[in-house]
Amino acid sequence: MFEQLVNIICNYVEVEPENIHPESRFMEDLGFTSFDFMSMLGELEEEFDVEIEQHEAADIRTVQEAAAYLEKLKAEA
Amino acid sequence: MLCSNIRQILVNSEKQFGSEDAVRYKIAKNAIESKSYTQLKQDSESFSCALKALGEQGNHAAVIGATSYPWIVSYFGIVNCGSVAVPLDASLPAEELCELIDRADVTVLVLDDIRKDVASMAKERCPKLKYLISMQKEESDEEALSFRQLLEENRGTCEDEPDPDKLCTIMFTSGTTGKSKGVMLTQRNLAENATCLDMKIPPRTVVLSVLPIHHAYCLSMDILKGLSLGSVICINDSLIRVAKNIKLFQPNMILMVPLMIESMARKLEEVSGLPAALVKRQVFGKDFHTICSGGAYLPPAMLDLFGRYGITILQGYGMTECAPVISTTVSWNIRKGSVGQLLPNCEAKTVDEELWVRGSSVMLGYYKMPEETAAALEDGWLKTGDLGYVDEEGFVYLTGRKKNLIITKNGENVSPEELENKIGEYRLVQEILVREKEGVIEAEIYPDYEYAKKKHIKDIRAALQQLIDEYNQGAPAYKKVYSLKIRETEFEKNTSRKIKRY
Repeated sequence: MFEQLVNIICNYVEVEPENIHPESRFMEDLGFTSFDFMSMLGELEEEFDVEIEQHEAADIRTVQEAAAYLEKLKAEA
Repeated sequence: MLCSNIRQILVNSEKQFGSEDAVRYKIAKNAIESKSYTQLKQDSESFSCALKALGEQGNHAAVIGATSYPWIVSYFGIVNCGSVAVPLDASLPAEELCELIDRADVTVLVLDDIRKDVASMAKERCPKLKYLISMQKEESDEEALSFRQLLEENRGTCEDEPDPDKLCTIMFTSGTTGKSKGVMLTQRNLAENATCLDMKIPPRTVVLSVLPIHHAYCLSMDILKGLSLGSVICINDSLIRVAKNIKLFQPNMILMVPLMIESMARKLEEVSGLPAALVKRQVFGKDFHTICSGGAYLPPAMLDLFGRYGITILQGYGMTECAPVISTTVSWNIRKGSVGQLLPNCEAKTVDEELWVRGSSVMLGYYKMPEETAAALEDGWLKTGDLGYVDEEGFVYLTGRKKNLIITKNGENVSPEELENKIGEYRLVQEILVREKEGVIEAEIYPDYEYAKKKHIKDIRAALQQLIDEYNQGAPAYKKVYSLKIRETEFEKNTSRKIKRY
């Protein structure tokens, strides 16, 4: 999951994969804009075949939290 | 056709486009439902009848929710019977929403279930509030009235002709002193702003509405202007799904803020090795041709970049206080570096480098804020707070900003003072300055080193970051602080002991 996420993240920001860590924060550390973050969530929906709620996703700050949220959605699906 | 009240917009378009689609929205993953101009007019008139039946005609009704058909029906239903709509930002914390509901003297609250949490708090904290209407509830119960049921039980027509110069909408905007201000707009302010300029947009243009509807730019340009032209308004259900919804609705035009435009620019450039027409087709669909940009500064290079893909960007400039458009470019007369020509209902002058505007779209004032109103208006002129000038052909050029507001790339206005006051409440923060840096909000803090010593706080950065995280938790996305700078010395002050900002 983490590796898949890193690959997708690299499509949105200019950060080398080795510099993306589980505790990296999307906005503060990786330089995501709010709209890029939303667009990435749309791609994650497709990739993992889940449905993401915008208001739930607002609490996601780190890569690790995104991975955990996706795992939870997949388990519920 | 120039309309002087909002009802005329709907009446005229219904006459012309009756059974054709006015609004399209998703009801399941790939299933679209639509409502015609006739249905929209009938439903909004039924909502007007419902307000009359509740004894609330003429009173203030707040609407909280994402863009939806019930939101649009509620808005027209409220303003077309002479009541006052108060569109509120659904992303605000419940406490803040309740404060605004109370301050705007709201007696009816139309609420999307995504903000169910506001309902119980509003009942406790807003004594003037009499009715709660749920956009989703199938049946009315003790908690709230059902929007659906209200429409069904109050089917009827409403032929009242609202007075063009009467207050019809209060929209909250960031105040430079930290307290948001309720901009009072009349029927004429909004209706003439939406209809005074013929932008040669053909009827049946498919518009994807992606911006928050409580903003004047979206309400006026997507909804009021769109409907006045016979457009088909497609509702984007979430910012997460813009790309998917573009594929689904195949729009011709989208109103965007610079943040989105720059992101879409990267998407266009990522698709390499294909002819421009195919790239455009892949990212925006085959029928797409126009982006309207507003809300914040757009780098002029974007016009050329999108032009290469056959997409025209029409740039506008405005503010909520002017309902909101002051100037816009039109497809046949684009001038780079300018934010377009003044609308025909607007005149402008420069006073001490600041741009002042006057015309039928200038607000009545700020709700219950006479001092702020007096500071913003002078003999009918609105002081925009922006530095700029207008050339002899009416093209507007902006050169800077006088008011202390952060205008983020997504068009949100953020008052630094509001954030400074909130974060400054923490004991560890002795002095704070909030500003924009590289597209994000930065807080520069001079910590109370004495206090840190007393409390044995060794890692001051970590402690401050924790406070910022705590503040961010309750703040809407556009008010979150993403950059922290720590000072070792006090800020430089001016003679009145205020921190020097620049």
